[in-house]
Amino acid sequence: MTKFAFTLNGAPAEVDVDPSTPLLWVLRDHLGLTGTKFGCGIAQCGACTVHVDGQAVRSCSYTIDSVQDAKVTTIEGLTRAGPHPLQQAWIAQQVPQCGYCQPGMIMAAAALLAERPKPTAADIEASITNICRCGTYARIKQAILAAAG
Amino acid sequence: MSDVASLTVEQVPSRRDFLHALAAVGTVLVAGRLGTLDVFAQDAAAAGAVINAYVAIAPSGKVTLQCAHSEMGQGITTTFAAVIADELEADWSQCEVVYSPAAPAYRHPVYNWQFTGNAESIRSYHALIRKMGAAAREMLIAAAAVRLQVPAAELVARSGTVQHPPSGRWVGYGPIAQEAAQQPVPASPRVKPESEWRLVGGGRSLPRRDVPAKVEGSAVFGIDVKVARMAHAAVMSAPTIATKIDSVDDAAARKMPGVLAVVPLDGVVAVVAEHYWQARLALEQLKVSWRATAAPLDDAALEATYRAAFDKSTGWAQAETHGDSAAALAAAKHLVEVEYFSPWLSHAPMEPMNATVSVTDAGVEVWAPTQGMQMTQIVLAGALKIPPEKVTVHRTYLGGGFGRRLLADFVLQAALCSKAVGRPVKLIWSREEDIRQDWYRPAFLDRIRAALGPDGLPTAVHHRLVSPTILAPVSPTPVKPGTVDALAVEDIVASPYAIPNRRVDYHMLEVPIPTMVLRTTGHGPNNFAMESLLDELAHAAGQDPYQYRRRLVAHDSAALAVLDRAAELAQWGKAPAGRHQGIAFADCFGAYLCQVVELSMVDGAIKLHKIVSVADPGRVLDRVNAASLIEGGVVWGLSAALYSAITFDKGHTRETNFDAYRVVTLPDTPELVTDFLENRNAIGGLGEVGPVCVPAALCNALFAATGVRQRRLPLASAKVFTEYGKIFG
Repeated sequence: MTKFAFTLNGAPAEVDVDPSTPLLWVLRDHLGLTGTKFGCGIAQCGACTVHVDGQAVRSCSYTIDSVQDAKVTTIEGLTRAGPHPLQQAWIAQQVPQCGYCQPGMIMAAAALLAERPKPTAADIEASITNICRCGTYARIKQAILAAAG
Repeated sequence: MSDVASLTVEQVPSRRDFLHALAAVGTVLVAGRLGTLDVFAQDAAAAGAVINAYVAIAPSGKVTLQCAHSEMGQGITTTFAAVIADELEADWSQCEVVYSPAAPAYRHPVYNWQFTGNAESIRSYHALIRKMGAAAREMLIAAAAVRLQVPAAELVARSGTVQHPPSGRWVGYGPIAQEAAQQPVPASPRVKPESEWRLVGGGRSLPRRDVPAKVEGSAVFGIDVKVARMAHAAVMSAPTIATKIDSVDDAAARKMPGVLAVVPLDGVVAVVAEHYWQARLALEQLKVSWRATAAPLDDAALEATYRAAFDKSTGWAQAETHGDSAAALAAAKHLVEVEYFSPWLSHAPMEPMNATVSVTDAGVEVWAPTQGMQMTQIVLAGALKIPPEKVTVHRTYLGGGFGRRLLADFVLQAALCSKAVGRPVKLIWSREEDIRQDWYRPAFLDRIRAALGPDGLPTAVHHRLVSPTILAPVSPTPVKPGTVDALAVEDIVASPYAIPNRRVDYHMLEVPIPTMVLRTTGHGPNNFAMESLLDELAHAAGQDPYQYRRRLVAHDSAALAVLDRAAELAQWGKAPAGRHQGIAFADCFGAYLCQVVELSMVDGAIKLHKIVSVADPGRVLDRVNAASLIEGGVVWGLSAALYSAITFDKGHTRETNFDAYRVVTLPDTPELVTDFLENRNAIGGLGEVGPVCVPAALCNALFAATGVRQRRLPLASAKVFTEYGKIFG
């Protein structure tokens, strides 16, 4: 067990865990933030997407020792500055069905918009590879385009 | 595995008159908090007066509506409640939805079994819950008549109030709720005519109640549950199918940080620890020796088993016969004999199987993302030797279900871990375990003989279908070997087409692999076979596939309307040069469906342009939600057509995660156009409809484009890919 300190959604966080613990399970089990989801554990599905120092990262495959002193943002932290345009668009377009993949989708989309504020449909197709078993992709695309304005 | 199948018909509770049972429902609402995130917690005190099993009204006017069904993305917790609220004439903004308990009042009105699945949450409960809302409305009016001292006939219920138009006086539901609850239950409550629906139908949509929490990340799925003193469990199952534990050396595992216990179960070893990752690390330290109880399976051996069944004289059962197909086939001048194969599939919902269970002397509490609330009670009660009523099931949101969560195997594992450590245990399957311990949708092999008459239309179609059972594990009544599995033959029995001679024979194959139903039931594989066959027949007859089907449903104006609307939206026959179209039709889950896929070929790869879906489910209660279900279903159907397959090698599945078990993602999703008609007489389902015609429509378009007929899914197995999918080749 080792101590790790980092910034989580704008506030300091510290945990004492095995260094091999994925960031995903630190967030869920040790820090009580269950918005970030477990889907595959091998970075294939994106349900665990968070931002580390502004980059979208699949936290199931990112061990806690990689975030020492980093700035981590989870879905819970996305609305710190008020309702995020993506979340508003997700509600307006009624995107979620079961909803389990959506926090990861939104975090992936937020990272895309941060890098490319006016993505084309092709940009979205190239960068949003998260899996949704309910198949909400058509609405996801519409919502991202709507949020981009 | 399931104890349910061994129950005799006599042991299954007999059907009751629900309305008259309502007088005794005071105990239905139970107090229960779901850890710190109590989205669906029942609070009996706050709910107020219980008018009936589905409706409670507090003095403030807040209405609490019970949803019998589990929310897995089909929007049921909004629509189910809205149906009741509409009849109740409630103010929707005053309505709160809670999950009902697993209790007799919430069972399926015909099967007398509580489950969520088979695209029938609304269509099977619709009449019942309308009556519940209407009954509560009439009891409120009766109470208001006493309170206002006017005849009930002069009163009108609207928007959470009972109004007396002649005098302008009115009273809110809240103040009269207690008196309403004391009123006699009406024997024949009057449901509203559809013209008076205000919340559902008529093209309306309601914002789904669960969407904001799902967008914020605060929605509680089973995997998110937190209860006091909870420990975590991870499991390791056998590396091959039909394999038992011989011995477990857990010395090293037990020394790992946080480990509380190592619990050998049936074919699976669990490690219970304080934290989930600690359990996972400890699993790696287990030394387990396994003993296979069946010869190692592989695809070739399995398929040989299927093929051998065709030559067997036993084990075949006739599912349907009309006319004399043997004679018609014998006399045919033009005979078509083909075989269609759909592969093994895994459910693979985004949320892996998990459950949180607390076993104490007082009873068992379960918090789980379950479709099988009653199954959970029965299985745990049987295993723990307690009455089913002592198993309290708290349902959470489900991260997808697709049928897998009808079973209670994963819940039982959690319960046995809890029993072993004397604390609540949350058990989570890794994705690998979720796929390894799946009860798969088995492969279907359909041999079809069809005869064409002089007009080119089929005079006879004879299906011989081989598959393991999909119904048995989820059926409350036993499904005997050698009989017809009613779900497995769906789509080829009760054909919507006017084919005079039809026969379906079914062989329930015995395999040492757990099998069960998966979203689309038998419609998925069988529609691929039947609608591809029809395309083959149309081409053999030199007729347009859309016109061909029109001739075969000429007797059914609702079916014709669906075909015509799909052809119109797809601009059938008018695709730009280089683009090709394929069409398919189904009568499934009480809905007619027609889908048209438009594609082109680019360097031998498929480029999908557009998929048109037109469905007639009788009534569309929520337009936006219905469209979402169809569109999401199209993606499911595309996965089945393009990529998904479970294959076997040396006794295990090759696929254990999404790297090998491929599914469709955003880049593969084309433009989707969806429309609805409402000509059918009875309300049908939607949750499993969207995927049904996609594989056939896609393969029919592919034939139009390439001249090559695909008779095996997925297309990836024939190295046929989309442009994006080439990376998986």
